[in-house]
Amino acid sequence: MNDVMGIVYTSKDNLNLRELTTNRAVAALPVAGRYRIIDFTLSNLVNSGVRNVGVIVQKNYHSLMDHLGSGKEWDLHTRNNGLFIQPPFLTRENAGEYTGIIEALRANFDYLRRSRQQYVIVTNSNYVCNTSFEPMIEQHVKSKADITMMYIKVRPEHLEFSRSSDGNHCYLKVGEDKTIEDIEVNPNAANYPNLNMDCFIIKRTLLIHLVDQAIARGAKDLEGEVLRPYINSGALKIMGYEFDGYYRRIETIKGFFKFNMDLLRHDVRKELFGTHPVYTKTRDDAPALYRSGAEVKNSLVADGCVIEGSVENCVLFRGVHVGRGAKLKDCIIMQDSYIEEDVEMEDVILDKAVTVRAHGRLIGQRQYPIVIGKNVTL
Amino acid sequence: MIKKKCIAMLLAGGQGSRLGLLTKVMAKPAVPFGGKFRIIDFPLSNCANSHIDTVGVLTQYQPLELNRYIGNGAPWDLDLSSGGVFVLPPYMKAKSGEWYRGTANAIYQNISFIEQYDPEYVLILSGDHIYKMDYNKMLEAHINGGADVTIAVRPVPMEVASSFGIMNIDEQDHIIEFEEKPKVPKSNLASMGVYIFTWKMLRQYLIDDENDPNSKNDFGKNIIPKMLNDGRVMLAYRFTDYWKDVGTIASLWEANMDLLKVPPEFDLTDDRWSIYARTPVMPPHYIGENAKAERSMIAEGCEVFGTVEGSVLFAGVEVAEGATVEDSVIMPGTRIEAGAVVRRAIVSENCVISKGCIVGEPEGDIALVGQDTVLPENYAVRAGEQIDNSVISGREAE
Repeated sequence: MNDVMGIVYTSKDNLNLRELTTNRAVAALPVAGRYRIIDFTLSNLVNSGVRNVGVIVQKNYHSLMDHLGSGKEWDLHTRNNGLFIQPPFLTRENAGEYTGIIEALRANFDYLRRSRQQYVIVTNSNYVCNTSFEPMIEQHVKSKADITMMYIKVRPEHLEFSRSSDGNHCYLKVGEDKTIEDIEVNPNAANYPNLNMDCFIIKRTLLIHLVDQAIARGAKDLEGEVLRPYINSGALKIMGYEFDGYYRRIETIKGFFKFNMDLLRHDVRKELFGTHPVYTKTRDDAPALYRSGAEVKNSLVADGCVIEGSVENCVLFRGVHVGRGAKLKDCIIMQDSYIEEDVEMEDVILDKAVTVRAHGRLIGQRQYPIVIGKNVTL
Repeated sequence: MIKKKCIAMLLAGGQGSRLGLLTKVMAKPAVPFGGKFRIIDFPLSNCANSHIDTVGVLTQYQPLELNRYIGNGAPWDLDLSSGGVFVLPPYMKAKSGEWYRGTANAIYQNISFIEQYDPEYVLILSGDHIYKMDYNKMLEAHINGGADVTIAVRPVPMEVASSFGIMNIDEQDHIIEFEEKPKVPKSNLASMGVYIFTWKMLRQYLIDDENDPNSKNDFGKNIIPKMLNDGRVMLAYRFTDYWKDVGTIASLWEANMDLLKVPPEFDLTDDRWSIYARTPVMPPHYIGENAKAERSMIAEGCEVFGTVEGSVLFAGVEVAEGATVEDSVIMPGTRIEAGAVVRRAIVSENCVISKGCIVGEPEGDIALVGQDTVLPENYAVRAGEQIDNSVISGREAE
């Protein structure tokens, strides 16, 4: 797909993710033992043959830049095209922080104009799924649509993630011929069963035109102020493409927790990792070591872990140490955290490099897990 | 080309025939070790950590897997504009072309490669050993001692000294005698196969050696004895940390088991001297509801539903519910099905150990299953046996 480029935008920090996003963008949130959320989006693009990817970063992007580097892990360190990280910068028009995707795209017009691909996939990076965009691209080209938006039929497990969050939720009315007939932006109660996935494909020149117009009119909201008028007037042909696989938005602590726990299911692992590879920055850890006394059940364990205690229904990131006699149940432990002897923990999320001293006891609730921020010693 | 003080030449062309079926389709340095590594990761990582940034890898036997693995050298920070890693197979010349006839001849044939960097010293390495070593310290000793050659030596138990190249030294650590596999060893200092030569000197010896029709063109058999004979300054550099020759199935198995001891005899988790490897793209491993994993090393991408004890599992290994793996090394992508028992064995890459198979025995020699082997159901591999698809079809034909 040499004729398609990608623009990945990263949302601002999300208060519902509490301590986990104080120092990092949502896109850089560690998930699944060794990944960051953005790995899924980037890998989906790369696995669909997209070779020119711009990542628009906003606030707290240090850890994201650190993670993406040259784009080598995604084979995006090529001479032509490749990975372009676009942090906000002060201009006459821009105060250093984007009010939304429209302004972010406007600030990156040079990059958009300079790129040579005919189409652009514009996507958020706050969700997890493993897919190829090729069928969507094909549908888009065949149907001669101006815009094709990816959506999913809402199931209760999707809603659980979205309710009570301050994210952007759009619901689509999709006709029999896949034409989008109406769009609801952040409704209190949705009338339509199709959740917009924040991912669409459009001609590059049309995107530039729409953004230019929106800026001229002072519009900030893509879906409500730009797309809705076109959908209602029918002036642009806007189609839907249904995705029917595993899809989770990570917008709340509960959602983050549930997604990680979902990975203990074989079918979810198979879909997310067994189809197209998910690339990520690698570390040079030796494989995990199980010492005598280790008792591990129904858990995901990354390289570099050393386990001497008991671990049940947990996700352990790289380099986690679980001391002798420690008991961990339903926990998510991020990289390089150190759990000393006889610690007892249930329903806890530890961010990176947290130390829990011997005999500590932390018991959270499934509906409201305890979250401990980065580099804390308890 | 920028001048380099010291470059490394890694001899990776040997077949490693004592590893039997393991080296049927790949060179010994490409053999997997320690859950995610290959043997060659150790000398290459030592180079990276010692800031030796130019490495020639001399390949000859079954180089495909090794070439693919080394690639552009990025995992070892050897993808550089000045220097880096170079795979050097034998090649055709204007008048003739020939294989590498011996270790010294292999270096001789690459004199022009070395000369590009105009080095003062050349470090000669082999791809047969598991160890972490700072080559810079050895280079320092070489320079300070004003040596023509410095050979790394390591004390070995006297009982096994007769199976090594043994150095006899004086009080100043000068080598006075070298004996290849002596019947009655006079010392227990074994050569580690790590040499630093002053390049000008080595260059002359290589040319002279090439012109000697009776020479076997080998460092241990020809170059070193000749230099001794000529009274050159030859220094022994003592190394006392972990070092293991993994040239046999038993020693390869033992070195893997050394990683599981508490504290480990050989520590791979020390981030001051990381061992780098090409990391596969795989999710963390999963341990099932009824699984058991103790005293083991398990890599990413594994799915464990059965029992794993005292074993090393490489990336992407599956152990089905009801299967048992004990005191074994299971290489990448192998599947162990329900009810199968693997004990004291090395199972190579991408094998299927079908239901009810028994591989290895609680006592005796290590059993070996070669790459891509599919064992039929209820098949038994006895202690010390080596099995692959062709052995199985051969038996069926009988």
